[in-house]
Amino acid sequence: MMTLLLVDDSPAFRAIARQALGAAFRIVGEATDGAEALKLARSLAPDVVLLDVQLPVIDGVDVARVLAAGDDRPAVIFTSSLDRRDIDPLLDGSMALGFIPKESLSVAAMLAFLS
Amino acid sequence: MTIALPRTDAKARRATFAVAVGALAAAGAAYGGSAVARGDTRAQTGAIAVATIIAGFAFAASGSFALLRLPRRDFGLMFSLVGLLLLASSMAQANSALPFTIGLLVSLAPAALLAHAVLRFPDDHLHSQHERLLIALAYVDVTVLQAAMLMFMGREHLSHCPCPNNLLFVEHDENLHTALMGTQRFLGVVLTAAVAGVVVVRWRQASKPMRRAITPVLSAGLLWSLLILLTLLSGSIVFGTAAQIALAVIPVAFLFGLFQARLARGSLSDLLVDLQQPLAPGHLRSALAEALRDPSLQLAYWLPARKAYVDTEGQSVAVPDDERGVTRIDRAGEPVAALLHDPVLAENRALLDGVASAAGMTLENERLQAELRAQLLELRASRVRIVEASDAARRRLERNLHDGAQQRLVALSVALSLVSERIRSRDAETAEHLDAARSELADALAELRELARGLHPALLSRGLAAALTGLAERAPLPVDVQVRLAEELPENVAATAYYIAAEALTNVARYANAQQARIEAEGTSAMLELVIEDNGIGGAAARPGSGLEGLRDRIDAIGGTLELHSEQGAGTRLVARLPFPG
Repeated sequence: MMTLLLVDDSPAFRAIARQALGAAFRIVGEATDGAEALKLARSLAPDVVLLDVQLPVIDGVDVARVLAAGDDRPAVIFTSSLDRRDIDPLLDGSMALGFIPKESLSVAAMLAFLS
Repeated sequence: MTIALPRTDAKARRATFAVAVGALAAAGAAYGGSAVARGDTRAQTGAIAVATIIAGFAFAASGSFALLRLPRRDFGLMFSLVGLLLLASSMAQANSALPFTIGLLVSLAPAALLAHAVLRFPDDHLHSQHERLLIALAYVDVTVLQAAMLMFMGREHLSHCPCPNNLLFVEHDENLHTALMGTQRFLGVVLTAAVAGVVVVRWRQASKPMRRAITPVLSAGLLWSLLILLTLLSGSIVFGTAAQIALAVIPVAFLFGLFQARLARGSLSDLLVDLQQPLAPGHLRSALAEALRDPSLQLAYWLPARKAYVDTEGQSVAVPDDERGVTRIDRAGEPVAALLHDPVLAENRALLDGVASAAGMTLENERLQAELRAQLLELRASRVRIVEASDAARRRLERNLHDGAQQRLVALSVALSLVSERIRSRDAETAEHLDAARSELADALAELRELARGLHPALLSRGLAAALTGLAERAPLPVDVQVRLAEELPENVAATAYYIAAEALTNVARYANAQQARIEAEGTSAMLELVIEDNGIGGAAARPGSGLEGLRDRIDAIGGTLELHSEQGAGTRLVARLPFPG
């Protein structure tokens, strides 16, 4: 089972993500801002990071950039409640595998990028 | 200084005192003069006695004059005292024991007192701990050390003698005397140099009017120091006599410096002629500065509504309580304006009064103009505040939508999908109902997103380029976006640029019938230039009530401009220039 780090500042979304993804991923940690995300990514070395684009302290796009420059390089998948048309320009050069709109989050959507 | 004269009884007391000093000095000078004439002085030093008497009388007379004419009494008092002490010290040249001893005892006191008076200029107090120490040492040097030195001084140590008896003499002790004398001389040289240093530094830092006031006395003082130095080095009576005469020039030079502005009555009549013609805003200040010969002069106008002072441009001005550097001008009991001038001008109230009353009517006109400008500034500031407040409210609303309703609906959508997947194999029909509900929910979310986006584009936090690209992505025609920024833009400038581009693209999509459009943003360190153009039909106009007109307040608030070029058939080009503090 792949390990997953969940990064989002909304408790409601983290709760539903646990339910939606718990069957296919082992959720090893949850972070509520960018700085915490980087700290947990280093200590837990997860296989996958599900990363909200808009985060307090350090923005999700910047978190992805730092993760891509590190040694572990987990698979990063962005999520956001923003429109896909707004997210696309941000994905360029971010090294993220892809983007899943929050309302479309599911195991299938995740595996589509990971397989 | 609200031109409040000293109380009459204090003034009368001072006048009496001045007359007494003058009389005493005259008596002293007459007594000294007759003593010299009778031959009661030692032959070699008669000339020094006469020069010292002249210097003493000059100081005492200037002191009396200053007591009568200057607003503060300290100078007059100190100069009077220097004069009387000088007269007393002239007795050192006498032929008999008592006046000789008194003269010797006080011979250096005038120098210390003069140094004190000079360092207290112009605001009647010493300016640092160092200066207080300097003056204290000077007083010790000329009193305690002088008396001690005299107690052990044998007659053979006096120059220009044979001399009468030194009544303070206790015992001849060559070593003690030499030590005391050496200390005293050394201290004297060091202190003189230090005072001269302070004066030079102060002159360098002084304002122009102040320099004008102190240059004469400084020149006389330097000449005096030079002559004293020559006397010490050569021991010649000629230099000693010349030094005392130079000393006599000091008080005269001092008063000349203070009163010379009063001699320049011409400047006041020039001002009156100047004020006959209407003056451009700000020129009254230079005319008054010219008349008062104070280039640093500031004019502050009273705004009754705000109960505060502003300058010609309408900006607030702090008017200090400092009575000496401020002259308030009233009309019928109501403040009109204040002159912020060099404190040394307070010595010359007559000129200040003259200038103030000459400027009267013009000042009132300028005050009204300044009031108008202050109101314009206030209006502009309030427009900025309104725009800022509305921006803050929009940001807050967008944030609330995003963190609240949007996240809950997103969670609901994911929950519905979980349930639908779980029951699909058992109950396909219900699963389809749930999918339909999710589709409705997706539409609601999309509408909510557009609403939030219209309130405040969240992407602005990732920079103008990201926000403009997002805008171009959703336009119904190809839009090329070019953003070149020298540095990060202030938030309100980026937001304004975004709203202009959004409005422009909406108009392009609606009316222009264009095949393509282009957004170009170029930022220097102080200005953002934003161009939006299309290849459509042109002929656009910013009608009242149109979206672009609605942005006018926002653009004006940051001092920007908006130009619309849209000839029939030649496309539309919108240019916004948004300045910001670099």
